[in-house]
Amino acid sequence: MALRRVMRRSSITVLWGLLLSLLSLGCSHTNGKEAHLTLAVNAGVEGDALRAAAQDYQATFNVEITIAEFPYANLFEKELIDLTNRTGAYDLIMLDDPWFPRFAERGLLTELTPLYERRGLEGPDDDFVAASLALCRHPYGTGTLYALPYVGNSQLFFYRKDLFEKYRLSPPETWDDVLTAARTIAEREQIYGYVMRAQQGNAVVADFLPLFWAFGAEMFDAHGHPTVNSPEGIAALRMMLALGAYAPPGYVSFNADEVAAHLLQGTAAMSINWPAWIPALSDPAKSRVIGKIAITAMPGQKEPGRAEIGNWLIAIPRGARDPETAFDFLLWATSAEQMKKSALRGNPPTRVSLFRDAELVARYPSYPVQLHSLQTSRPRPRTPLWNEIENAFGIYLTKANTGELSPEEAMNRANAAIAEILQRQQ
Amino acid sequence: MILWRRPWRRWVRIIEYGAIGAALVITLAPVYWMVTMSLKTEIDQFARPPRWFDFQPMLGHYYETFFIRPFGHYVMTSALVALISTALALTLGTLAAYSLARFPLRWRLHRHLAYWILSTRMFPPIVTIIPLFLMLRHLQLLDTMTALILVYTGFNLPFVVWMMRGFFQELPVELEEAALVDGDSRLGMLWRVVRPLVAPGLAATAIFCLITSWNEFLFALILTQTDASITLPVGIAGRVTQYEIKWGAMSAAGVVAMLPMLIFAMLVQRHLVRGLSLGAVKA
Amino acid sequence: MRRSTTHDRGSPERALASCSPDSPPPSLHLSGIRRERWVPLLLLAPALIVLLALTVYPLLYAVRVSFRAADDEAWTLVNYARLFTDRFFAEALWHTFVYAGTAVTVEFFLGLGLAWLLDRHIRGRSLFRALLLIPMMIPPVVVGVIWRLLYNPNFGAINGTLQQWGIDTSALVWTASPRWALLSVILVDIWQWTPFMFLILLAGLQAIPQEPYEAALIDGSSAWHTFRHVTLPLLKPAILIALLLRTMDLLRIFDQIFILTQGGPGFATEVISLYIYKTAFRFFDFGYAVTMSFALLLITNLISLAFIRLIRAEEGLA
Repeated sequence: MALRRVMRRSSITVLWGLLLSLLSLGCSHTNGKEAHLTLAVNAGVEGDALRAAAQDYQATFNVEITIAEFPYANLFEKELIDLTNRTGAYDLIMLDDPWFPRFAERGLLTELTPLYERRGLEGPDDDFVAASLALCRHPYGTGTLYALPYVGNSQLFFYRKDLFEKYRLSPPETWDDVLTAARTIAEREQIYGYVMRAQQGNAVVADFLPLFWAFGAEMFDAHGHPTVNSPEGIAALRMMLALGAYAPPGYVSFNADEVAAHLLQGTAAMSINWPAWIPALSDPAKSRVIGKIAITAMPGQKEPGRAEIGNWLIAIPRGARDPETAFDFLLWATSAEQMKKSALRGNPPTRVSLFRDAELVARYPSYPVQLHSLQTSRPRPRTPLWNEIENAFGIYLTKANTGELSPEEAMNRANAAIAEILQRQQ
Repeated sequence: MILWRRPWRRWVRIIEYGAIGAALVITLAPVYWMVTMSLKTEIDQFARPPRWFDFQPMLGHYYETFFIRPFGHYVMTSALVALISTALALTLGTLAAYSLARFPLRWRLHRHLAYWILSTRMFPPIVTIIPLFLMLRHLQLLDTMTALILVYTGFNLPFVVWMMRGFFQELPVELEEAALVDGDSRLGMLWRVVRPLVAPGLAATAIFCLITSWNEFLFALILTQTDASITLPVGIAGRVTQYEIKWGAMSAAGVVAMLPMLIFAMLVQRHLVRGLSLGAVKA
Repeated sequence: MRRSTTHDRGSPERALASCSPDSPPPSLHLSGIRRERWVPLLLLAPALIVLLALTVYPLLYAVRVSFRAADDEAWTLVNYARLFTDRFFAEALWHTFVYAGTAVTVEFFLGLGLAWLLDRHIRGRSLFRALLLIPMMIPPVVVGVIWRLLYNPNFGAINGTLQQWGIDTSALVWTASPRWALLSVILVDIWQWTPFMFLILLAGLQAIPQEPYEAALIDGSSAWHTFRHVTLPLLKPAILIALLLRTMDLLRIFDQIFILTQGGPGFATEVISLYIYKTAFRFFDFGYAVTMSFALLLITNLISLAFIRLIRAEEGLA
């Protein structure tokens, strides 16, 4: 009994002791290195590459690096909260390019040109793909430089070359070709002709825009008014629905993961996807279609096909504790030598020389196609309100795909919703 | 009468066991499926027809979870946060509950206070999360376990007060009076006389608090910034990357997140039911 | 621990101690120890301070934010006006009501049934109880993951198993069908939280003393009559507590849906918390997000108040 009481007493003491030590831990920062950087990165192959690079960097330089990794859906939120409140938690942030206008417009990022000048440089070298670097300027293409491109993603078109050869189909050049191939394959094979991401929000909009652009539609006119319900836009949506007839049931809830699963399991013949999936296609633990998938540029229709760009950028928050150290790391990580390592870890580069590098091309035979796709790619509309617009647009696109709304009705409502979002901000 | 009742009874028994069996299968099959997912290769994970039993188990996903990713660290963080916030909420909440149950205040204030305390549990998290974020930033507590401990303590307090108030109301006052007359201090009396009496209730309440803090997601998502304070649910959600969901690694982490609660629940199941039956739900 | 066993189920002295209708609530003030007037406040103070700090300041801040448009410093009512014209808000609110109403009803009846089954002397009772409580212990984030694995129309375990049994599942797409998505998400909630109802109701059943049953037996009442006129009335406090706690949590349901569908397909499973969350953290419109939260808080309050009234009425009788 006495022993038990003693034990109880001591366990309570230990608990309070723990609490107090935790409180004190909260305030102290100890490290042996001279400088310390914290990076906010995307959970996934891009973040993994940067994490690995950071480890190399720590081993060589007198800098300690902490990685904070978040799922794609939350990374934007975390970064925006922390930057708007100037908590200074992150010294470098990775950001998906559609988020960039929001950060840049609010003045949340550090201008890079002065940092270049302090090192006797004019600015980024011209090895960077122009389309990628254009994303890092605000306003788009010409404005102030606030970031550097790290991962050169642009959409690609994946198709089963074995089945295309079997049915004597030529690689698809227009969306009509895609539809014909989808019908042919679906009718003769026990698989789905086409698979796409139609989950509301980011996914459905990303997979629809190349189609939308190919049909000659535009989201905004010259005055910035929404025009998604143009006849071209509605025709593009009709094409999407026609393809949907050959897509697996439930495709309206698919994101990249489900699309890739269908490709890798050999249950769907074609899809748009991001380069991040290329390594998996030849991984025997993941793929049943090794050597059967070909990669080509985006099909066109009325207009030549243009892929959507989706680069990962790295930027330094405004008011970062140590922008010089951060910029040193940024320059190092985006150098040709380091970016090659990142490419070997599965990330497409943003440098022209690396897309032509013999070792890399031997490993990734699709690099020439990827470079072409990236150089001719289009960004999503550069507006700080993109997230909200994308959300509304996506909801109505999905509703058209589920059959809740007719294509006209969906586009009309989307147009009205986008107009309302724009109006509210004025 | 008894004679014709017997076969009828047996049928009832069979139906009863059938219903319990069905409930068990529905309850456990999804959990079992997650466990198998954590042990399968990607090919087996998506195989058709689904492989419930025949697959080659492998521990690769666990290796990735604990040796490549810092999930061991997340488990520690989650455990510390859950344990300390539960201890704090129980201490503060029990004292408050005792006061509310034993000392009627003027204008029936004790009752109003009790309901006000419960009502703080209704707050949609969004209302409080941004101001809390700003407050914690001001206190330099962002991205610390201390912040999460504070928030979870506040989160659990209303529940503790509400539950423990129920238990105290069920206790006869005479024992306490006797102890006080014997010259015990108020706190001493609480510890020596009252605490053992409400122990089952304390245990049941503690379980609920632990579950809540161990599982909490939204606040942890917003208030943590680096591995210094990231908890297990946030770490698990982090396995949903932009392009793919690491089903295997995620299931492995899910199994790990589930296990401590399961073992704990098995151990204390008896106290859970009995504890609850003595207080809050009493007629 | 041993000492507490004296307080077993149905100990009649204890049940009587607080059940006589005329006695005032037990009070130490009446017992002649008056010198400690500060004690009740001192005991209350720490909890109150924590709760005030964690709720009142945020609440005041939120009120201020809700009267602001975007980054403007001026006071305005636009956020409140928008509540009445926002189609998404109305739709999300409707989904929340359907979700909460259906889930709480089904969970209650299933939980009551299970509690009734396992309240009696059935072999393996305590093992069954422990196993049935499992879903409640799993982090909702993990629950979302599990059910995404099960629901996937093409690779999921449910459709796969049904196909193995020769059932055509081509029309069964669960969370991908705008018509069935909400129901699918509700099913997950029922799976996870029926155990909670079961637990509270089981505890409630165990708290009922034996005497009324014996009386009913002597009167020769039928099983249904006993259940209706003895069990149910005595179970009422447990029922009310279970319904209150569950409803409060259901009205702000977030985690599972966040992982499971993100509100899709389209808008089919967008509940109010998810819409508020997106408005706050994706669109960064805190003013409107907080305003919607107040609307939700008001609704939660009204519903809870109804429950609390009922509980108070019960307490008044006790």
